[in-house]
Amino acid sequence: MRRPVGVLSAALVLAGSLFAFQRGYGNIRRLFPDTGNDSPPPGSQEKTEFYFARLRYPNIRASGIWAMRGSWTVDYPKADRQFLQGLVRLTRIHANPMERVVDLIGDEIFNYPFVYVVEPGHWDLPDSQARKLREFIDRGGFLFTDDFHGTFEWELFTASLNKAFADRPIVDIEDDDPIFHVLYDLDHRMQVPGIVNYPFQRTFEYDGIEPKWRAWRDAKGRIAIGICFNMDQGDAWEWADNPHYPEKYASQAYRTAINYILYAMTH
Amino acid sequence: MFEFLFNYPLAVYQKGTFVFSSGWPAAALAAGLLAMAALLAWLFRRRRLPVKRTLALAAIEWSLLALLLLLLWRPALSVTVLKPQQNVIAVVVDTSRSMALEQRYRQALALYEERLGGDLKKRFPVRLYQAGEAPARVDRLPAEPAAQRTDLGAALRHIASESSLLPVGAVVLLTDGADNGGNLGPETIEALRRARIPVHAVGFGSERITQDIEILDADLPARVLPSSRLLLTATLRQSGFRGRTARLTVRDGDRVLAQRDVRLPADGETWRETLSLNAGGAGVKTLDIAVQPMEGETNPRNNRVERLVDVRGRKPRILYFEGEPRWEMKFLRRAVEEDPQLDLTSIVRTTENRFYRQGIRSPQELERGLPSTVGELFAFQALIIGNVEAGYFTPVQQNLIREFADRRGGGVLFLGGRAALGDGGWQRSPVAEMLPVSLPDRKGAFRRQPATVELTRAGAESLLLRIEEDPEKNAARWKALPYLADYQETGQPKPGATVLAEAIPGVRLRHPLLVTQNYGRGRVAVLATGGTWRWQMAQDARDQSHEIFWQQLLRWLAGAVEEHVTLLATRQTYSGGEAAVIRAEVRDRNYLPATSAVVSVHLLGPGGIRDTIELAPARGEPGVYEARWRAPRPGAYLAEAIAREGLEELGRDTVTFRREDGSEEFFRTEQDRRLLERLAQQTGGRYYRPSETGDLVKEIELSEAGITVRETRPVWNAPAAFLLLAGLKTFEWLVRRRWGAV
Repeated sequence: MRRPVGVLSAALVLAGSLFAFQRGYGNIRRLFPDTGNDSPPPGSQEKTEFYFARLRYPNIRASGIWAMRGSWTVDYPKADRQFLQGLVRLTRIHANPMERVVDLIGDEIFNYPFVYVVEPGHWDLPDSQARKLREFIDRGGFLFTDDFHGTFEWELFTASLNKAFADRPIVDIEDDDPIFHVLYDLDHRMQVPGIVNYPFQRTFEYDGIEPKWRAWRDAKGRIAIGICFNMDQGDAWEWADNPHYPEKYASQAYRTAINYILYAMTH
Repeated sequence: MFEFLFNYPLAVYQKGTFVFSSGWPAAALAAGLLAMAALLAWLFRRRRLPVKRTLALAAIEWSLLALLLLLLWRPALSVTVLKPQQNVIAVVVDTSRSMALEQRYRQALALYEERLGGDLKKRFPVRLYQAGEAPARVDRLPAEPAAQRTDLGAALRHIASESSLLPVGAVVLLTDGADNGGNLGPETIEALRRARIPVHAVGFGSERITQDIEILDADLPARVLPSSRLLLTATLRQSGFRGRTARLTVRDGDRVLAQRDVRLPADGETWRETLSLNAGGAGVKTLDIAVQPMEGETNPRNNRVERLVDVRGRKPRILYFEGEPRWEMKFLRRAVEEDPQLDLTSIVRTTENRFYRQGIRSPQELERGLPSTVGELFAFQALIIGNVEAGYFTPVQQNLIREFADRRGGGVLFLGGRAALGDGGWQRSPVAEMLPVSLPDRKGAFRRQPATVELTRAGAESLLLRIEEDPEKNAARWKALPYLADYQETGQPKPGATVLAEAIPGVRLRHPLLVTQNYGRGRVAVLATGGTWRWQMAQDARDQSHEIFWQQLLRWLAGAVEEHVTLLATRQTYSGGEAAVIRAEVRDRNYLPATSAVVSVHLLGPGGIRDTIELAPARGEPGVYEARWRAPRPGAYLAEAIAREGLEELGRDTVTFRREDGSEEFFRTEQDRRLLERLAQQTGGRYYRPSETGDLVKEIELSEAGITVRETRPVWNAPAAFLLLAGLKTFEWLVRRRWGAV
C-alpha cells in the first residue's frame, strides 16, 4: 500500500515542479546563457596523468515530463572544463584541461580510473554495461555520480546499478570519512542546487529535499562509487563564473569534486 | 721392472742426485768424450760410404764408447734415507662412516694388517692413528668405521705437532679422502712441510659415484617474511641413471611446498635445479629437500638434506613520498594492502603546501613531509621516492636518503615521473651516487607513451619478477602484460647494477626499466615508470600480476633490512665435534658500529637445553661480537642475542642452526683422489692405489724428516747399462751388414 502512495506523491511533486520549471526556464536561460564554445581548450593535446572522463550511457525510455530530462551530455562540456581549470589551479594534479567521453561498450574506460556520470537517475544500463561498470570498479576505477534528485530518479539509478552491485548496500558517508578530509575539511556541507532553482530560495528538486552523500564501498571498505544525490555539482561548476550563481555553492562543488578525485587517486 | 733394470725404484731416482763415485773429475770425462769424437772423425774420414751413413756409424760408435767411459766414472745416486728403527712411521686410518661404503674400510684393514703393517714394522716403529671426528692414537683399529666426521687435517696437524718431540719419518694415510672436517687447508700443509713429513696417501673407493643420485647442496635464504616467495637452488649430481626422471620435492613436515620431475643428465654431471616456494606462516621451519631414490641406488642417504628457514612475522614499514597525486600511488597502495606483511605509509603533496598522509601512527607523524632526522626516517625499512624533484628536498634530506641505504641498510626505490630521476635533477644531487644508473643530464626523458616490458636474462632468473612459478610461463606472462602508461629514459646502468627489465616503447627502442644494485649496507632500485597501474586497470580484476609484482618488489626492498642487532651463525649445520660460531653485528641508535655494547646470547636446544653466553668483541671488526659454542646434542637450536649499551637495550635478534651428526658422511662419498694427490705432492709423498703399495715401504725410507743419513747408491752396475751396451753393438752390426760395410 505504501508504494503506490509514495509514487503518487512523487508524481504530484514532479508535476508541480514541471509547471514551475516551464514558467521560469525562459528567464533562467537568459541569465545563464550557453556560450556555445565547444572548441578544445589550449593544452588539451598534452598527455597528462589525470583525465576527467564523462560517462556516456543509454537513457531510460521515458514519456511525459521524464522524457524531457536526463542525458549524459547535461552541462557538457563547459562544466567539465571549468571544473578542470579549478582542479589544475588548486591542486598539484597534472590534469588535462579537456574532458574525455567514455562508455561501457568498449574498453577505453579502463584507461580512465576516474569517471564522472551526470543524471544517472535516467540511465538504463543493459546487463552487459552494468557488468562492465562492475569490472571497472573491481579493477580499481572510481565512479562519481551527480545531479539526480528525488525518489523516482533514485529508483531508476539503483535499478541499473543493482544489476551488478547488489551484493553490497549503498550507504551514507560519515562526516569523518577521509573523502571529506583528503584536502578540504567538508564537515559542514550544504545542498548544491542546479540553476533550475534560481534564484535559489529553494535548493532541492522534486522530492529530493535533503542532500545525500552516499557511497557504494568495495570489499575493503573503500568508496568506489561516490553518489552525490539531491544536488547538482555540474551546474555549480558550469556557472561558477556567472554572478547569478552563488559562490558558496560553486565553492563547495569544487571542493567536493577535488576531494573525491584526490580520494580516488589515493585509495 | 724399473727396479730390475735400474737397481732402485723410480722414487730413488726422483729424490736422489747423480754423483760419480770414482772420484775422478767430471771435466776429465768431458775431455775424454771430446777426444773420442775427434778420434772417430779421423778414423772415418776415408770411408767410401755416403756421408749420412758415415755419420750414423760414427755416432753409434761414439755412443758406445761414451757409455763405457761414463760407466768407468761409476755413476751413483746420493739419497737421504731414514735411519732404520730410529724413526716413527705414523699410519693414519680413516675410520669415518663413508669408509663403510664399498668395503673401503675392510680393504684398508686388510692392507694394513696383512702386509703393510708387518713390512713397516720390520724397519720402523709404527704409530697407529685414527682420523675421525678428532685425531686419536690407537693400538688397534676398530672393527667398523663409525666416526661421524672425517677430519684428516686435524689428524695430520696432530702428527706434525708431535714431530717436535718424536722423529716422525713419514705419514701413511689410508683413506677415501672424503674429508669434511675443513682443516685440510694451507695451514696444515705448511705445518707438514715445516716438519718435512711426507704424506703417502693410499686411496680407497671408487673415484666416481656409481648408481647414485646425490644432493650436493641446497641454498635458500635463512630469513624471510611470512608468505614470501623464496628460491631454493639445489645442486645435484648423478651417475648411472642418465635420461631417467627423478622427483625433487621440498616438504615442510608432511606438507609438500614444491615438487618437480627432473630429467637426469649425463653421468657424473653436476647440475642445478631451482624451485620457488612459499615460505608460509611465521616460525622456524625445517625444510626437507629430497630426491626420490631410484631402484638399485647404492647410497639413498645422500638423496635428502634439511635446511632451516626462519620465517619472521615482522612487518617492515615502507615510506612512500609522492610529489603529486598519481594513479601509481593509488594502485601501489592497493597492491600492498593485500599483503599483510607490509606496512605502507605514504605522503603525497596534494597542493603546494599540503600533504595527505596515509598509514601514519600518530597525527604528528610526518607532519612536515619527508623526515629530516635519523630518528624519524630510519624508523622505516624502505623508502620510495616518487615523482618529485631533487630540489624539493633540503641538502640534509638528500643526504639522509643516501644514508638511509648506506648506513641504515634500508631499501630505496626511485620511481619514474615527469619530475623524477633525470627530469627532477637527481643527477646533480648527492643521491646520484647511490643510483644504479647514470641519469641523463637533461629534461624530457619522461614520456607518456606506451611501452611494453621485457625481462632481461637476470630478470627472468630473479624471484623479484616471478609472477608465475614456472620460469617459461612467467616469461610468457610478462610478455602478455598490458603496456605501461609511461616510461623514462634512465641513462646507462652503472657497473655492478643489474637490469632486470626493459621498457620497449617501439621497434629498436629499449630502455632500462627496473635496475637494482646494492649500495653500502642497503639496496637501491630504479623503476623508471609511473605507469604500472595499467597492469591493474587493463586486465581482468581477478588478475594478480600487478599485486604480485609490487608485493615482491617491496618485500625485496624492505624484507632483508637489518636492525640494530644482526645475529648469525657462520653455518646452518654443524657436526658433533664442531663449535658453532655465533656472531652479532651491533649498531647504536645512529646505526653506527656500537663498540661498547654488552651482547648476551640465550640458547635453546632439544630436550630443554638452555645456556647463556656472552659474546666478545671481534678483533679488527668494530661493532662485531662473537663466540664459539658447542651444541651438546643433535637437533635444532635457537639463539637470541640481546645487545645493551649501559642500561639501554639497543636491540635483539635471533638465529637458528642445527647440529647433525654423521649425515655429512653420506655425501660426496667418492674417493677424492685429487685431494690426496695434492696432499702427497705438496708434502713430498706419493699417492697410491691399494694395489700399488708394493714399493711403499721402500719409498718411505726416502724421507728428509726424522733421523736421516745420506747414502750413495751405485747405478753403474744396473742391468740397463749393460743391456744398452749390448743393444748398441748389435744395432751397429745389423746396420753395417745392411749397408755392406762389414
